[in-house]
Amino acid sequence: MKKKRAVAEDTAEMIPTDSSDEEDGNGAPVKAKKGKREESAEEELVYHPVKLSRSDLYRPPTAEELNQLKETESLFHCSLLKMQMEELLKEVRLSERRKQQIDSFVQKVTMLLQTVPESAEVEVSDLSWLSDAVKVPFLLVPSITKGKFHMAPPASIDLIGSYPLGTCTKPHIVVDLAVTIPAEILHPKDILNQRYPRKRALYLAGLAQHLISSSDIGTTRYSCLHGNRLRPVLLLTASGKDTASFTLRVHACPPPGFFKPNRFHPQRNNIRTEWYTGMQTSLTERSEPPTPHYNSTILGDLLPRAHLQFLSAVSSQCSAFSDGVALLKVWLRQRELDQGTGGFNGFLASMLLSYLLMTHRISNTMTAYQLLRNSLNFLASTDLTVNGISLAKDPDSTAPSLSEFHSAFQVVFIDPSGHLNMCADMTACTYKQLQHEASVSMQFWDDPTVDGFHSLLMTPKPMIRTSDHVFQLCELAKLQSSCKKLNLLSELMDHSGNYVHTALPFILSLLQQGLGQRIHLLTHSLSPDPEWSVESDAPKHKAQPPLSFGLLLRPDLAVSVLERGPPADSPKAAEFRQLWGPRSELRRFQDGAITEAVLWEGESMCQKQLVPKQIVTHLLQLHADIPESCVRYVGAMVDDVIKTGSEVPSTGEEESLKVVQSYDDLSRKLWGLEGLPLSITAVQGAHPALRYTQVFPPVPLKLDYSFFDRKKDSKALVPKEEKPCPVYITPITVICHMEGSGKWPHNSTAIRHIRAAFHIRLGELLQKNHNYTYRPCPKHLDVFKDGFVFRIHVAYHREPQVLRESVNAEGLLVVRDNEEAQALEMSTIHKPLLTSTLHGLQQQYPCFGATCRLAKRWLGAQLFSDDLTEDTSDLLVASLFLQPSPFTPPGSPQAGFLRFLHLLSSFDWRNNPLVVNLNNQLTAADYTEIKNDFMASRESLPVMFIATPKDKKLSLWTKRAPSVQMLQRVVMVASESLKVLEQQLMDSSQVQDVRVVMRPPLDAYDVLIHLNPKQVPLLSQAVDPPTVTYSRGIMPGSAHSSGGALPVVDYNPVSLYLAELREAFGDLALFFCDPYGGTVIAVVWKPKAFIPAPFKTSHVSARSVQVTGDEANTVPNVEAILEDFQVIGKGLVKSVEARTEKWSF
Amino acid sequence: MAPSGRKHAKSQPRIIPGGFSVLPIQFDSDSATQHTLYIKEHKVRAEKTSRRPLDRTLFVLNIPPYCSEAVIRDLFSQFGSVQSVELRDHPGSSHESELKLSKLFTPASKQGFKVGYIVFQNSSGIAAAKKHDYDVPLVVSTEQHPVKTGVQKWIQEYKESFIQPDNLQEIVDSFMQDYDKRKEEEAERQKKEAEQQEEDEEGWVKVTRGQKGTKARPHSEAANKRTLQKEMRKKKRKELMNFYTWQHRNTQKEHIAELRKKFEEDKQKIALLRAQRKFRPY
Repeated sequence: MKKKRAVAEDTAEMIPTDSSDEEDGNGAPVKAKKGKREESAEEELVYHPVKLSRSDLYRPPTAEELNQLKETESLFHCSLLKMQMEELLKEVRLSERRKQQIDSFVQKVTMLLQTVPESAEVEVSDLSWLSDAVKVPFLLVPSITKGKFHMAPPASIDLIGSYPLGTCTKPHIVVDLAVTIPAEILHPKDILNQRYPRKRALYLAGLAQHLISSSDIGTTRYSCLHGNRLRPVLLLTASGKDTASFTLRVHACPPPGFFKPNRFHPQRNNIRTEWYTGMQTSLTERSEPPTPHYNSTILGDLLPRAHLQFLSAVSSQCSAFSDGVALLKVWLRQRELDQGTGGFNGFLASMLLSYLLMTHRISNTMTAYQLLRNSLNFLASTDLTVNGISLAKDPDSTAPSLSEFHSAFQVVFIDPSGHLNMCADMTACTYKQLQHEASVSMQFWDDPTVDGFHSLLMTPKPMIRTSDHVFQLCELAKLQSSCKKLNLLSELMDHSGNYVHTALPFILSLLQQGLGQRIHLLTHSLSPDPEWSVESDAPKHKAQPPLSFGLLLRPDLAVSVLERGPPADSPKAAEFRQLWGPRSELRRFQDGAITEAVLWEGESMCQKQLVPKQIVTHLLQLHADIPESCVRYVGAMVDDVIKTGSEVPSTGEEESLKVVQSYDDLSRKLWGLEGLPLSITAVQGAHPALRYTQVFPPVPLKLDYSFFDRKKDSKALVPKEEKPCPVYITPITVICHMEGSGKWPHNSTAIRHIRAAFHIRLGELLQKNHNYTYRPCPKHLDVFKDGFVFRIHVAYHREPQVLRESVNAEGLLVVRDNEEAQALEMSTIHKPLLTSTLHGLQQQYPCFGATCRLAKRWLGAQLFSDDLTEDTSDLLVASLFLQPSPFTPPGSPQAGFLRFLHLLSSFDWRNNPLVVNLNNQLTAADYTEIKNDFMASRESLPVMFIATPKDKKLSLWTKRAPSVQMLQRVVMVASESLKVLEQQLMDSSQVQDVRVVMRPPLDAYDVLIHLNPKQVPLLSQAVDPPTVTYSRGIMPGSAHSSGGALPVVDYNPVSLYLAELREAFGDLALFFCDPYGGTVIAVVWKPKAFIPAPFKTSHVSARSVQVTGDEANTVPNVEAILEDFQVIGKGLVKSVEARTEKWSF
Repeated sequence: MAPSGRKHAKSQPRIIPGGFSVLPIQFDSDSATQHTLYIKEHKVRAEKTSRRPLDRTLFVLNIPPYCSEAVIRDLFSQFGSVQSVELRDHPGSSHESELKLSKLFTPASKQGFKVGYIVFQNSSGIAAAKKHDYDVPLVVSTEQHPVKTGVQKWIQEYKESFIQPDNLQEIVDSFMQDYDKRKEEEAERQKKEAEQQEEDEEGWVKVTRGQKGTKARPHSEAANKRTLQKEMRKKKRKELMNFYTWQHRNTQKEHIAELRKKFEEDKQKIALLRAQRKFRPY
């Protein structure tokens, strides 16, 4: 209870305090994390402008200092970036203490390994010498192999890999230890038929059996190198409290030079079909299918020491080598490219740098920053799938040629020996992804308007956020039948039965072919290295997590429902028919051509979004025998919450278009009006529906007149008391600027009257010429047209100026800014401008609107829509499209929404302004100016600062809200939602639906006011669709385009109630409600108001007096206030539930 | 609802420090809870207007949002006939608006707790109110005079927000006529003043402060600023840059100082970020 109270206090507190505990509805881990951050925030972490003393600034510089200053100025576009990278390197480098720990542990293990007891020689298939506690880390298929095996102490034990090289980085420190199998255990013929790999596995099992009993070793587990089941490794951790800090990976290797490298030529066969299938075949050794992957696996075991020597030689020449590798590793890791099968791991990164050094693309004196930059540049510009590269200076005559490598592997990067392709497991798609990432990085690296460091090295790019659509293959066992269908027996043999890795390249090329122009990029997840305990058998191939594929769509082509093929008589037609199967049909087009074509289903935008899904499932079913049920397509799962429409489901694109068309028509008609005393100079929309971002765009409705009362004199409809609240009709705001003229009075009250006269006149003319029903008010004019209500405001451009002017006592005309003028400028200048700018953005990026709608739906559902207003959130979303780095602009609403949550939760609002470069009007100089102004007056600026080209200094849109506390809460809820949602989307085993992120935690609030759903007009928009529906006075059918009685406009009891509550009790409490069909109003008391205050005439509202002696103190009269909640909302409020005993202290 | 005389005699009114009497008030007879009004005779040193005569005005605090002026008038007539009721958001002196605006053109008032100034016909009303029994609360909504709240009230307000275009036009017209008239009067007055400055029959000119026609268009602040800036610019243009050797040296020195400053600033930014652990990539 007490905790909860502290909790609510924080949210309610309006004045910044150093609050210690943050509330949260989602569990303890967050709390702990939060607490830590709070703590650090408490330390004085405020940016103060630097004050150097005069003597410091003007003292004569030393040559060294001058050099340093000059270097930082010229070498990096901002010296900040250099320092940032140095700091980053400090974070990932291993500390000396850690190195000592590692060294001592390695020593211990080495000692232990040297005492492995010898055992008697047995057949390879005889496992009786192993105890039951240890299993062999190998899938013994086929089970029989020839050969003899016995245990013996290793011939040598060496450190290999990144640790001795000095390129090992945090986190997940892995230290590689190579244990050489004594030569007498092996036989030169062992390369055949998995004999060597099996002996290697047995040897590891023997080591494990020996180590498992030692007390120095914490855990012993098996894994396999790069997911290759033929290369098992033993993972050891130290015992004691440092168990998790690093892992020792024990490899078993043959003695150097034991096998001849030319046996591993990519076109040679080392697994005999007869042995593998167990059937008699008539193939000779020459005609056996080549086994390039098997060969490179064994060759890989032979070379690690040579590689280490090579890399050490290179790195000793280049001082920044290890830092460069570390940066490259961080870059790769943020892009999820460095782990798993076929990834671009740290070893490849070092090799790549060595290649660049050897070919003199980078020089030995360059800094880590330049190394990173040059390697990205190289990756972006070189296609290793076509032009492989080789580190071998003068390969011996037996080494295969590049073209031989290319015919066997998709990506080619040859090691210094000239025999091994280090990228053997990499798919072409992975390399393309790497290339794409590198070129995107190069694009924003030089852009001074982007925080390069952050985008480059600090922002994680998980697949679900990077790709527009994602799909998963859930039952990997099904890939076995794909291998059969695709006729991949020899490839399967080459991959030693790993059907996942066998089928993957073929599936990828199939999808690439089918999706063709619709996508920029097809990516897939790299299957992680499996890990299992030494006591259990090696997991099956299907046990790995589902394979995920990511699509980066081309927004304009991806939604096309037609796949037009070649003409029927062309030779390519057969190919097209083969690809699409029965879906392909002959069609005659308007231009007279008769071609093969495939037509996909899709009427509305949200259905068309899923055309790629249809293609994927169709192709996988047709060619790879993967049923639709195994494909889990995550493309538009979140869109459900903004889906409307009964016949054709739609996420609002079509409805918005209708509104915009109707508005365009109205605007034309306004321009065409004759008989106005002044002419119209501009008609501008100022409503989210007119920029495609209204969460639920207004739809034209046909009204059931009998449901309503009639206003006698004006025939307008009014709600009936006894009926449920009628359907809510949103007025769509339109600003109509009138020409300036000397006839306008120079007095604000008079201007208001003139505007009212214009409203009447405009309405009369619209009715006379076009028969629209209208209703003039002093403030606006409502026009009923096509089933929509447009609310026209006449504006006079000098009115804000008039409001600001006043004559002071001395007769001097003074101009003073005031709120009224600001509000007027906001509604007549800034809002229309924003609307038209964002409307333009929608034309450029088709899924901008839907992303905005999702974002606002989430904000509404989490009860934040009063703090992050519609305009603010639209601007935030716009920034995702205008400055997407390190991503590309979102191509689906879902990706956009995830990035919106990420932006909210990770942006450093305290120290940075968010610059939204609308229309690309801001230059680099403007950015610096904005940043400097922001830094100079941070304290007085809004907590959430958003700068736009028209508003560089004030952040108009976030001036009023959110407050510090609310922003904190928004950040926290956003990061929780993001975490939960990404899990939901990527994990098929989740029980709950994605709507879980739209259900707000209500336990933090003090009072809940439950509303009567009958009086909530937007009930049907609620996150969880309501079980009961009420008739709201609408009939099926389409609305009239003109005439008819004026409907009930802008009558929403919930918002009226909220407004009254805030006016009456705004000093005492905060009120939250979901504007889209929320039936609960959540209330948080402000703790400040509950501190007894001395009796003052200005401070007694809703308070009761307690007299003690001569003093009279006041406290809020909570019981009466709770009853007032009922009284004020009579008919709307169902119950008031007080959840805390807040007032009792 | 009115307190009976018998009860009145028995129990005591409650007075709190500060001289306010406490008057409980509840929404209707079923209400379980009460708000309390704090009342006191209106006493200020300098009340300029005649609208709040000192001896007959009662000052009421904490009037709940559902009480309109009519309701308050109703409630307090039991203490004596009420002449006028004025409800305000905050206590303060009254300012009479110069011209009567139509209700449609005045900004809507806040629907919160209010402060009231109740003027009785005679001063006995104040005493009666202050003597009111503490145990008998005032009741806002009664069967005879129900007060609409919630959905009923909002529908009522929605109905009332309609105005016939003709009526609206009328209001606008009458206001504009009035406005034009005042404008004309103003112009007339200025013309007269201008005339006064002309020669009279005997050839005398009355000299007043300022130039001719200053009253018609007052000086603006912006104009003042502009002239000042112009002067500054002029001064700046005349200066020579990098002309003397010492000037050149100074520029160089400034450049290095600038670099140093930036360097220091960046270092500080880093220190700040490091303290916030902003460099941990994962």
